[in-house]
Amino acid sequence: MSWEITVSGFGGQGVLFIGRLLMESAFHSDKEVSWLPYYSGEKRGGMCTCFVNISDERIGSIFITHPDIAVAMNPAAMKILEPAVKTGGVLVVNESLIKNKTSRRDIKAVYVPTVEASKEVGDESVGNLVALGAVIANSQVVTTTSIIKVLNQILSKDKHQLELNKAALLKGCEYS
Amino acid sequence: MPERTLMGGNIAIAEGAILAGCGAYFGYPITPQNDLLEHMAKRMPEEDRIFLQTESELAAINMVYGAAAAGFRSMTSTSSPGFSLQQEGISYMAGSEIPAVIANIMRAGPGLGNIGGAQGDYMQCTRGGGHGDYYLITLAPSSVQDMLDYTMLAFELADKYRNPVLVMADGFLGQVVESVVIRDRVKKLPEKKWAITGAAGRPKNIINSFEMNPMDHPARIKLILQKFERMKRNEVRYEGLELEDADIVLVAYGSVARSAMTAMQKARLHKIKVGLLRPITVLPFPYQPLSDLAGRGCKFVVAEMSAGQMVEDVRIAVGNRNEIKLVNSWGGVPLTADEIFEAIDLLA
Repeated sequence: MSWEITVSGFGGQGVLFIGRLLMESAFHSDKEVSWLPYYSGEKRGGMCTCFVNISDERIGSIFITHPDIAVAMNPAAMKILEPAVKTGGVLVVNESLIKNKTSRRDIKAVYVPTVEASKEVGDESVGNLVALGAVIANSQVVTTTSIIKVLNQILSKDKHQLELNKAALLKGCEYS
Repeated sequence: MPERTLMGGNIAIAEGAILAGCGAYFGYPITPQNDLLEHMAKRMPEEDRIFLQTESELAAINMVYGAAAAGFRSMTSTSSPGFSLQQEGISYMAGSEIPAVIANIMRAGPGLGNIGGAQGDYMQCTRGGGHGDYYLITLAPSSVQDMLDYTMLAFELADKYRNPVLVMADGFLGQVVESVVIRDRVKKLPEKKWAITGAAGRPKNIINSFEMNPMDHPARIKLILQKFERMKRNEVRYEGLELEDADIVLVAYGSVARSAMTAMQKARLHKIKVGLLRPITVLPFPYQPLSDLAGRGCKFVVAEMSAGQMVEDVRIAVGNRNEIKLVNSWGGVPLTADEIFEAIDLLA
């Protein structure tokens, strides 16, 4: 089984971080993985993408053109990812910033108001975890438990952020 | 099963250097290799070894020259514009037969270019790069594991030939994270009787790239050139995948070799007999295996992130016997499996 995942949005939306969580949790399930950040010179506000491969086999291309799962965090990402998702794939759309819907009937589109949903759990900065929750709720790529394990490791020194990120993840799981 | 760990490509080069006994690292920041320098800043002092962030790439390469002349396994890392600045120092090291390792994590050029990964330094890396008659063994990793392994190999080959060795990777490989198996530490470093270590109780060693008597210079260069002939004979390395029955041979290195592998698998599903030859040493280049494949009647697709540089080496190997198609990208843009598959499909 192989998964190709592309997450894309503005730098600062946590695009690379949720890609990293996917990669690390799959790695702990003994999968082959690759995680590639792809961005330009700007630190915040520029386009930021990450490509994550998860597979039982040796991984070929580290670049992904037709993902099984795509997360579009801003309108520019939607424009690129919507036509690119494989037939039968999942497209998670950040409804807080993206107003249009897909006309494709061969993919599963999930619309998530990441900003509003993350405000509900206490802070609007964790919209990326809401989107990740939606990814997990609509695919079998990794489990919520395995993501929480990785969060526990990464955020062990910041209990507040840890709880916030977990809550946002679980909130995102409601969008299935 | 050996224990695996997650690691970025640049970090794997740093850790490979430490495992190989690198005693002195000098560098100057430049994207997309910054995390290599940053990692060395943390790790080298932990290992009680020398780390120095220099005032420029020029200073870095000349400090590498000095530390290596003193017998340390020494290295620097940089990216394309910085690598251009270092050519003078590298030429001096080759001229005075000093081993060192240089990692060039290539970005797009010319000039300041772009921070995206690229392979536009191929000619500069494989044709010497600086002034004078010299070459550097140039290793081209295509995974994070390769980044670690080839860096260790680079130190070994540098000492074996008393010549600088390049690790040439594109910026995407520098930044990708994958799983790696950590190797054993090199326990015993080779003895360097030629090094400048203080001449008490022995005749002095002199390191330079210059002969006072101009009549002596050709003989010196001849010795160096004979060394390069030995490198060409002994150090050609490549990986071949599904070449046995291939009608079309993909030639690619670095991150593009990974895209090519996916394109090959897709082509095989479409019943097109495609194989992949991935040069591990782009210098010395695997001319002979490519020539043999040409003799068998194969067609070639060369995939690279440059205007078309390695394709010239493939043409040297193949001559005018067979068709060669170039598929490429430039300016810091990845070359994808889809694009490579299209090129295969056109040739099939």
